[in-house]
Amino acid sequence: MGDFFNALGDIATNESAYRNAIIAAVVLMLAASGELVAEKAGTINISLEGMILGGAFAAAIGQHAFGSVWVGLLFAMLAGIVVAWVQANMSHRLPADQFVVGLVLNVLVLGVVGFLASEIEPETNIVGRVRIPLLADIPLFGPALFDQPWVLYLVYPVVPFVWWLVYRTRWGLEVRAVGEDPNAADVSGLHVNKLRRQTIYLAGLTAGLAGGYFLFARAGQFEDSLVGGRGYIAIAAVIFGGWTMKGTVGGCILFGLVGSFVLTIPSLGYESVDPAFLAMAPNVVTILAMAFFATRVRQPSALARPFLRGLK
Amino acid sequence: MSDLGTTSTTIDEERAEVVAQARERSRRGVTVEVIGLYVICISIALALAAILVAVTGGSWTAVYTAMLDGSIINSGRIGLTIGVATPILLVSLGTIVNGRAGLVNIGQEGQLVMGACFAAFAAARLDGPGPFVLVVAMLIGVVGGALWAGIAGVLRYWRNVPEVLSTLLLTTVAANLMGWGLRKEWLLLAPASGRANRNQVSEPLPDDTRIPRVTWFGNEFPISAIVAVLLAIVLAVVLGRSIIGFRLRMLGTNPGTAMRAGVAERRYGVAAMLVSGGFAGLAGGFMLAGGDFGNYQLVANFGAGIGFAGLLAALVARQRVLIVIFVAFVFGGLRTGSGFLRATGVSGRIADVVQGLLVLALLLPPAILYVRERRRALAATSARV
Amino acid sequence: MTQHDTIAGGDATSPPAIELIGITKRYGAVVACDDVHLAIRPGRIHGILGENGAGKSTLMKVLIGLVIPDAGEVRRHGTAIRINDPVAAAEHGIGMVHQHFSLVEPLTVWENVALGDVGRLDPRRVRARVGEISEQYGLEIDPDDRISDLPAGMRQRVEIIKCLRRDPEVLVFDEPTSVLSPAESEFLFNALRTVVERDGKAVALVSHRLGEVMAATDEITIMRDGRVVESLSTAEADARSLARAMVGREVSLRGDVIQTGSASDHVHRDRTAEVPVLRITDASARGRDGRVLLDRLSVDVHAGEIVGLAGVEGNGQRALGDVLSSLLALDSGRVEVESREIPTGRAGAMARAGVAIVPEDRHHSGCVLDFSVAENMFIADPERVARRGLMDRGEMARRAEALIDRFDISCAGPDAPMWSLSGGNQQRVVMARELSHDPRVLVAAQPTRGLDVGAIEYLSEQLRAAARGGVGILLISTELEEILDLSDRIVVIANGHIVGEMINADVDLERIGMLMTGAAAESGVPS
Repeated sequence: MGDFFNALGDIATNESAYRNAIIAAVVLMLAASGELVAEKAGTINISLEGMILGGAFAAAIGQHAFGSVWVGLLFAMLAGIVVAWVQANMSHRLPADQFVVGLVLNVLVLGVVGFLASEIEPETNIVGRVRIPLLADIPLFGPALFDQPWVLYLVYPVVPFVWWLVYRTRWGLEVRAVGEDPNAADVSGLHVNKLRRQTIYLAGLTAGLAGGYFLFARAGQFEDSLVGGRGYIAIAAVIFGGWTMKGTVGGCILFGLVGSFVLTIPSLGYESVDPAFLAMAPNVVTILAMAFFATRVRQPSALARPFLRGLK
Repeated sequence: MSDLGTTSTTIDEERAEVVAQARERSRRGVTVEVIGLYVICISIALALAAILVAVTGGSWTAVYTAMLDGSIINSGRIGLTIGVATPILLVSLGTIVNGRAGLVNIGQEGQLVMGACFAAFAAARLDGPGPFVLVVAMLIGVVGGALWAGIAGVLRYWRNVPEVLSTLLLTTVAANLMGWGLRKEWLLLAPASGRANRNQVSEPLPDDTRIPRVTWFGNEFPISAIVAVLLAIVLAVVLGRSIIGFRLRMLGTNPGTAMRAGVAERRYGVAAMLVSGGFAGLAGGFMLAGGDFGNYQLVANFGAGIGFAGLLAALVARQRVLIVIFVAFVFGGLRTGSGFLRATGVSGRIADVVQGLLVLALLLPPAILYVRERRRALAATSARV
Repeated sequence: MTQHDTIAGGDATSPPAIELIGITKRYGAVVACDDVHLAIRPGRIHGILGENGAGKSTLMKVLIGLVIPDAGEVRRHGTAIRINDPVAAAEHGIGMVHQHFSLVEPLTVWENVALGDVGRLDPRRVRARVGEISEQYGLEIDPDDRISDLPAGMRQRVEIIKCLRRDPEVLVFDEPTSVLSPAESEFLFNALRTVVERDGKAVALVSHRLGEVMAATDEITIMRDGRVVESLSTAEADARSLARAMVGREVSLRGDVIQTGSASDHVHRDRTAEVPVLRITDASARGRDGRVLLDRLSVDVHAGEIVGLAGVEGNGQRALGDVLSSLLALDSGRVEVESREIPTGRAGAMARAGVAIVPEDRHHSGCVLDFSVAENMFIADPERVARRGLMDRGEMARRAEALIDRFDISCAGPDAPMWSLSGGNQQRVVMARELSHDPRVLVAAQPTRGLDVGAIEYLSEQLRAAARGGVGILLISTELEEILDLSDRIVVIANGHIVGEMINADVDLERIGMLMTGAAAESGVPS
């Protein structure tokens, strides 16, 4: 037992573990921020996984073809929106089931991306770290937050911007209304399914960006196992966070920390832990976290319920 | 609820009549319109895949020819396809059960893996005549899959965790648990057999605990295929005709009415998950003992996406038991067909693309028909509702 | 209540703000509106009176752009306009206050008021505007309150503010009092009076309640079978002739309450000594959000007796219905059927104990729309038409056919999908199923809501017949007329508690009204 607590102590003071945790948390945060909006409007967007993966691949193509990270990120967002377009129009223009569409999209994106990657084999690389003076000197957290690949800093404007969209704009008010009571929103003159489609496009945008970010900040080289279920964990973070931005970000950080800290366990000299347990830890923690918190929060009343009258 | 004021009964009646007329009309035009739509959607899906192949420098005719050769045309391939389709079919049957109860289980891949692990563990430890060990091991595989799905069921009804997420997250956990088991001799790892650098595989099943294979018209396949088809027929009767099926359907379409009528949501819901996982577990057991997937032993990445294929097959068949038999065969064919792709120089992953596009395309016709019928009915009754 | 003869804002000769001319709307063979003329004048409250299904709703849908008429035109200040959707209606100065509230519960008052507007969201301005309007019309409200915390009367204020905020010329109220207590209704009509007098706005008040139309309006148009049968000034109207015009035959009146159907004499026997078939004792329940739904509610129903549960909507009636449908578990208290305690919230327990229910929302817990008529008749006990676990479709169809005949259900046959039936016939299917089980108790929650006169009379007769057959009936209704017409004994619910009880023979309408508001809650505990 003493060993265990020593290990815990070692991990908690390990600077690179924090740095990796934040890198992992940010991919969740970017994806989850868009997903939060989609869920606020009433859609559980299973295709988030596919959006991230498509984004990562498109980013690789963008950089491979144009040599620019910015073009890569732009491609990433476009790819996310393409996936979102299919999801949005099949589930909120046609009455196909949103889970079915999302799942099929994930399988399809994986197939397409896997196929194309084996045919094209794009060359990419990790972007360099940029150290933000002063802030990066804060012990322990400073480097994790402010001495990172520069693409990570995108999260600082994106998440507050999405929060602002949801809670401070008319569009956000309409989105929340649509997710809580589509019938009342409809009677008030809102286009329920149009708003829902828009939120899915936003999710596609941020999830695509998350994929591009992850390629440039962590992976460097594209492979089709790159995303590995992070999309689902991001969805879980939204639920864990009780459909608030604060809670969602908290969930992303928690899941990022777990995913990253367990990976440092062997490198700290505790090799007796089987790697399988380390690999499954994020999912197990995610499920447990939802099991403990999902009963305590109120979900948007119309979550995952299609609205049929407004179909045009 | 968005109705303005009190609805007039007479108008309701009238609307119902118009809807009925529209149905009647569409029933007469049904064959042409529906088949046409399906043909168009499938063609577009296949064309998109062809374009993808062409753009990346491959020959799409070669690809499709190879896939047809590999799945049905060349001699003996149909048997192989049947063998691959068997676990796909079983997973689909389970998916239909949870679908009827209104639950979304998308973690069959993990449940299948757990079923295979349980079956392999049991088979390696049971003593007795081969067939007996085989049957018991398969049943234990059912238990493994059922338990794994049951976790998600319990979490859904007692802890409010959406089963759509938990089943999926548990899939990765299952795969990792198998990986761990394959490193432990007391669990699944095959005992040392003289080789220093052992692969992480389980002990192959002895000959007499393997599923017997039969040969019909030059096509060889395991008799588990026949078991699967029989199970499909039984399930069709149970879901379509029995009281249990009736109650399950009620729960799936209107939980409030079901509760009032004595269908306890938790009991029936969890039971549906257990059955669904049980089918996936059986699929895993059959994969282990059937011989079409590796050498009668567990290997890394044992599930091979069969769980997902089965899930998709059920979705494409729109939860119809007898249609699912056909769809499972097609999906099996996509896999056996992709085995012939190597010769064309195109990556075998194109089969995944074709499968994904086909599923997406097959979701479209019913949705389009629904919208069209609805619009027609509403246009006939009022200008804007 | 405001005197209708002191007309201030306008008079009967002023040019109409909105005029409907020759509006005709057909649904196939049915004519919902047949050459309807209607003029709504500024400064006047115009009552549109009619039974359910008389065509009032269709007419109002035309006015706010939800229905496009087959013939006729709408004129605004003399010029013809086209209203293709609610947005266009709003642009033409027509605003609608909905019967079923169009408010989003988790949002605040001001957020709801801002919903459906365009342009940048400015909370400060919206809040200020809410304050302004509420002060102007005496509709006091806190813009930062959450809708879910507000009672029905307050919610309606928000609806009105939401409508007034766009400064409409014409306000359409669709059955506004169906969710209000008498006091709240009176308050509403006072506010309406202010709206027409001060600003010269025109109000159309759609209602099937004779009394309130008499009391609150300046002009009345009566519709029946899609036609205008009479148009007159309220001052010239008398209740008896209005009722005749509305129903199309002679009806008897009880005070200002109309009685539909035959007047039955409610003989009251003292049953305190008998064992009740249904006894609910100190039932308390909370919702998921912690709100009190039922508060120590106690009520008895004896065999052969119809007990009417009167009350304003949203005072626990739905929760009581849910408890008796096994959908909701009590936190404390007990439910007994013939002295046997029945567990609450356990699937099917109530049904097995002999509690039949015609639920308030039949689409939620009364029937399965995707099932056939025959399947819907056997959802609770498929065993009756099954052998060795398999359902016998032939037997099921045969029995369903008998019920279809007996209850005179109009449908294409036992295999017709439930959704293809009209509301009235769906209700008959539910009724047929529940009564075919030989229940001990029948709970009828708002059984006639949304049905036309014929269907209402039919269902009322069924309830009476069931009572004569020895079934104890609990009639839950917000329609006081219905309760007075059918019940032997009346209990009043407010805030989830029974606040008063009386036998029908010595009904005191004023006292019921008081009790319904919850004002007399403590003093009116049943003896």
